[in-house]
This record gives sequence, C-alpha cells and structure tokens, in this order.
Amino acid sequence: MRKKIAYCVFILAAAAALVCSVAVFPDNAFRSAGIACAQDDWKAEFEDICFRTDDSLSLTNEELRRLVSRCDALKPRIEKLDETERKVFLQRLRMCRDLFAFVLESQEKK
Amino acid sequence: MKPTLKTFAVAACFLIFAAGSGARERVPPQTYGRVIIGNHSAGAGLAPVVFDHWLHRARYTCRLCHVDIGFSMKAGATNITAATNRQGFHCGACHDGKRRYDGKIIFASCTESPVGKEALCDRCHAWRKNIAHENDFKAFAEKLPKDVFGNGISWEAAEKSGQVRPLDFLEGVSLKRPALKAQKDVSIEANVTWISDVVFSHKKHAVWNGCEVCHPDIFPIKRGEKKYTMLEIDEGEYCGVCHGKVAFPLASCEKCHTRPTF
Repeated sequence: MRKKIAYCVFILAAAAALVCSVAVFPDNAFRSAGIACAQDDWKAEFEDICFRTDDSLSLTNEELRRLVSRCDALKPRIEKLDETERKVFLQRLRMCRDLFAFVLESQEKK
Repeated sequence: MKPTLKTFAVAACFLIFAAGSGARERVPPQTYGRVIIGNHSAGAGLAPVVFDHWLHRARYTCRLCHVDIGFSMKAGATNITAATNRQGFHCGACHDGKRRYDGKIIFASCTESPVGKEALCDRCHAWRKNIAHENDFKAFAEKLPKDVFGNGISWEAAEKSGQVRPLDFLEGVSLKRPALKAQKDVSIEANVTWISDVVFSHKKHAVWNGCEVCHPDIFPIKRGEKKYTMLEIDEGEYCGVCHGKVAFPLASCEKCHTRPTF
C-alpha cells in the first residue's frame, strides 16, 4: 500500500514539475518541441494535400471534394503563421484549392 | 473560295497588329523578360533589382518559382524585402549561400556582411549600373537553338533536346509530386479563314508550369466556353500573361497557329 502511495506521489510530482517548467520558462525545450511539432503538423497536412495537384485529373469527385474541405480546414492554421510564411503558404494553399475546385467543377459538368 | 473584301480588311488589321506587337516587343534579346523590382530598394539606398528571366528559366521551371517559392506573376506584387530573403523566402529560397546549382554555391541574397557590401548588392541591385555579370547572355545563347523573337532562343527546342533541363524540385521548398500525366492537346478554332487554328499542347506547357500556374488563375474557363481574342491576349490576359513578357511573343503567330490548313 505504502509503495502504491509513493508511486502515485512520484507521478503527481513529475506531472507538476512538467507543468511548472512549461509555465515558468516560456522558451524552454518543452515549449519549443511543442511548437516544432505543431509546425510540422500543418506542414505535413499541407504537403499531403498539395502534392496531389499533378494527378488531380485522375481523382474522383469525392476525393476532390475532400481535398477542397481539407484546404479550407487548414487555412485558419496557416493564417496564424508569421507574415511572410503566412503569405507564401496561403498563396500556395489557395492555388491547390482552386485547382481541385476547378477540376471538380469541370468533371461535374461533363 | 474567293477572298472577300472583309477577309482582306481583317488580314490587314492583323498585319498591322502583328507589326505593332513585333515592334513593341523588339527589345534586345538579353533584356526580354527582364523585370525591374524596386519596391523597397530606394528606401535602403540601393538601385532597383534587375531580374533576368532567361538566366533563371534556364535552370528552374516557372512552377518552382511562381508556385513553390511564391513569386507573383505580376511584377512588383510579391513584396520582396531583404528581411524575407534572409529568412529563406523569395530570392533567399535559393540564394542562401548554401544551396548549389551545378556544383557551385548560389550566392546569398541581402547578406548583412559589411565586407564588400556594395559589390555584393550590385549583383542584383544593378539597375542603370554598368555591371559585368558572371553569366553572359551571349555565351549562353549561342549554344542554344535559335528563334526570331523574344530572347532569340527556342526554349521549347532547347528543353526538348536536353540542352536546357529546368529543375522542378527544390529541397525543403517543393513538394514531392507524382509524375505529371500528360493531357491531350486542345484545338482552338481561329475565327478567320486566313490563319490556321491553334493547337494548344498541354504537354509542352506542363513541363514548365504544372497545372496550378495556369488553372484556374489564368484560365478559369472550361474548354470551349470562351472565345479568346488577340486583343485580350495582347493586353496581357490568358496566353498574354506569359507570351509577350517572358515566353515567346505574340509576333510568332506560327508557333501557336499550327493546325495544318490543307
């Protein structure tokens, strides 16, 4: 029983230390790692969407619709980036989205 | 079929138009496609930047710069600054002093190094300066297939023969895309009888542009929905976004109007 309590106290202390260190040291490694992870997150999603532009004509209407939705969902995340990065990637995302929408509209008209 | 008075009148108008376009576009071959960028240069006490398309298009595709790096298709609209270059955007995406082309390091843009600052800046901020550039147009162009207008280079033939191999991928910037599937050529009927129809090759254009440079920004319409006019194109719309500015000019009628008439 005492062993269990000691174990729980240790876990709680470790968690508290982690929370405090993030709060007290805003530029510490935990925070940086978190930001890096979030950055990779939007970029990975961006790459996963936009690499499909070259084969957009072979995609089904459903796939195209899903890609357009993913572009729309990603946009607010890119809008939070710094000025130049935001401008560059919003433009790139818009080009991808517009191409998918264009192909979708063309296919629907056929 | 006998040519009518109307046909002659339209042909005469066309010749005047072509002559006018030709005359307007006859800039020296080395300056065809030149863009002067001066949004922020004067504020920094520097001459505007002279950007020569011929040097860059020989090495990279249009898409790499106008999609992956994010340069606008309209001159001056990108808002390039020394700071954005230093952060690795715009010119700094390649000109970072680390990347290599053909084994050679690409010089860094907008460095803050005080040593030889003037000389370094002059490589790009060269407007109205008599700067001897490392890459000489004449030496470059003499080995390539010739053309009458524009840069005097047949870029299409140069690309086809492998003399020009533009890169379409920049590590850390471009996306690894699957191989582009070639689309069918599109025939665009000429409104008049004295010139042949246009055969638009998706394949030729996609090598340089991919899909998203043209669709839907430049060509938002679907096939057959729009009648293009040479006046609109001459004013810089549709084909005129590139042709007449960087790609071969409109005076090269026979390059687009290629459908055999007999």
